[in-house]
Amino acid sequence: MGDVDEQMCADKPLAVEHHLYEFGSLQYHIQSYVSQANQVYLSISTHILSIGSSTLHEFPHYTLEDVKRICHEVVQIVEPTKPGYQLTLKLDFTKIPHKKDAVKIITKISSLQSIILSTQLRELLKNVHDQEISQGTYKPIKLVYHPNEPFYVIKKPAKLTAVFPIRFKEHSDMVIAKAFFQELVDVGNSGVCARAPPCCWSPIPPPELRGEPMRDLSTNGGFVSFELSARHVEGKKLDKTVWNLLNFYALVKYHVKSTKGFVQRRMRSRLESLVEALHHTNMEEDHNVKKVTGRRGVKKLIKFTRNAILKKRWNLTKKIKRIRSRIRIIGFRKFQRRWLKLPSFSSVMSYQKLDKS
Amino acid sequence: MGRRAMNECGVYVWSFRMCVWKFKEFIPVLQLDPLSSTDLAFTLSMGSSVRLYLTCIRNTLEAAMCLQNFPCQEVERHNKPEVEMKTSPELLLNPVVICRNEAEKCLIETSINSLRISLKVKQADELENILTKKFLRFLSMRAEAFQVLRRKPVQGYDISFLITNYHCEEMQKHKLIDFIVQFMEDIDKEISELKLSMNTRGRLVATEFLKQFI
Repeated sequence: MGDVDEQMCADKPLAVEHHLYEFGSLQYHIQSYVSQANQVYLSISTHILSIGSSTLHEFPHYTLEDVKRICHEVVQIVEPTKPGYQLTLKLDFTKIPHKKDAVKIITKISSLQSIILSTQLRELLKNVHDQEISQGTYKPIKLVYHPNEPFYVIKKPAKLTAVFPIRFKEHSDMVIAKAFFQELVDVGNSGVCARAPPCCWSPIPPPELRGEPMRDLSTNGGFVSFELSARHVEGKKLDKTVWNLLNFYALVKYHVKSTKGFVQRRMRSRLESLVEALHHTNMEEDHNVKKVTGRRGVKKLIKFTRNAILKKRWNLTKKIKRIRSRIRIIGFRKFQRRWLKLPSFSSVMSYQKLDKS
Repeated sequence: MGRRAMNECGVYVWSFRMCVWKFKEFIPVLQLDPLSSTDLAFTLSMGSSVRLYLTCIRNTLEAAMCLQNFPCQEVERHNKPEVEMKTSPELLLNPVVICRNEAEKCLIETSINSLRISLKVKQADELENILTKKFLRFLSMRAEAFQVLRRKPVQGYDISFLITNYHCEEMQKHKLIDFIVQFMEDIDKEISELKLSMNTRGRLVATEFLKQFI
C-alpha cells in the first residue's frame, strides 16, 4: 500500500520496480515505467487453495471475477501474466479520485490477497457434493494453503468446523504453542469473547477426521478446532474470518518466534544483574577504618623566667579557689567572712605601738 | 602421600565434621540418611519452607569453604582443583547432598583447594522445564562473566559452580556464599516470572485474535 501511495504522490514520473515478500510464500511485484507515468503493474504469486491432493496453477474464473469487481475503472487484468506470477493487474492512477476515496481504493487493492483467498474458500464450500454426506455430516475437506500444512473444514448443517493439525520441529516450540492454545481455549470460554467462535484443543484427532490418511494426522502439537456459525460468515465478516483461518498457522508461528525473542531479552537483562551482584563480592577497601597520620612533635621551649613562675602559681591558686567554691550558696560569703575567717596572729618580729595614755 | 597433606586433611576433615555436627543440632528437622556414594545426606521434611533449605545450604557452604592453595601432587608445578581431578582420595571430603524434595536438591563436593556446588532446580511442568533448560544453558555458555560458574553442569544437575582458593582470595567468602544463595532465589523467581509473562502474552494474543471474529 505504501508503494502504491508513494507512486501516486510523486511529482515527477519515476521508473519503479519492487519485489515484496510476505509470510506464507506470498510474492508481489510492483513495476512502473517512465513512459507510462500514471500506470502501475501489480503482479501477485501465491499458493492457490486446493482440495485434497490436487494442485491448481492458476486462479479459477470466479476469483478473477471478484478481483475485477474491486474497482473496475482502476483495475484491469493483464493477459498474459508476468512470468512467475499467477495474476498481473494494471492500475490506472488517473482514474483514482483524490483525498479520502483514494485511500479506500488503495486499501482495497492492498487486500488483494484476502479477496483471492476468500473467494476460493467460499466457492469450495459451496460446491460440496451432496453424495459426500455421511452420518449427517459432510466429508472433511482438506485444504492446502501452505505446503505440508493442510487443514480441514467440516461442513455441518448448522455450523462449520475448521480443524488445524499442529506440527513443530522443535520440542520447545511445541511446548510454547501448547501454552498458547491453552490460553486461547480459556479466553474463548470466558465472557470477554463470548461471540467469538468456540475453540478447543485436543492431543488426538477429532472423531470427524476418522478415515483420513495417517500421514496428515500424525502431529506433535495436537489439533485446534474452531466452530464457526452463521454470524461469523455473514456479510463483511466472511472475508475477515477466511483471512484469520488461512493465516492461523502463520499467527501461531509468529507468536512462538516472538515469545522466544522475549525470553532471550529477559535472560540477557537478568544476566547483567547477576553479574553485577557478583562484582560486589570482590575485596573492597574498608572505608570505616580511620587512617592515623603522624604529627611532627614540636618541642616547646620552657621559659624559666620569674614572671612566668609567679603567673603560674597565681593561676594555680585561682584554680584551687574555683574548685573549692564550685557550689555557690547565697549568703555563704557573709557567713564565711564572719565566722569562718581565721584570726590573724601578730608576728614575732613585728610590734604594736602602745598608746601614750 | 605427603605427611603434610595427611595432617592438613585430617584437621580439615575434623573441622568440617564439627561444623556439620553443630548445624545439625541447630536445625531439628534434618535427618541423617546415608545414600550410596555419599556419607552425609540431609533430607528435609516436606513441610519445610524454602528458607530452611537455603539456610541449610548456607551453613554447609560456610563450613565447606575452607580452601587453601595446594599444588598438584602428581605433576610438578601444576595447580589443579582437586575436586575436579579426584586423583587423590585423601584430599577429598565426603560429598553432601541437601534435598528439599525429589525434584530439588543441591550437591556440595569439597576438596582441599576447591569446592563444587551443583544445583537441581524445581520444574513443575513442561513449560518450566524448557524455560529452566534455556535459561541455565544461557548462563552456562557465558560462564566467563561469572568467574565461579562451570560451563557444563554435573550429570544429573542443572547448573554447577566451581570455587577455588584463588576465588576465595579475590572475593570475600561470606559475600560469595551470599551470592550463591541469592542466585538460587533469583533463578526460581526468574523462571516463575518468565512463565507468568509468557502466559500473559499468550492471553493477550489470543484475545486480539478472537476479537477479530466478533
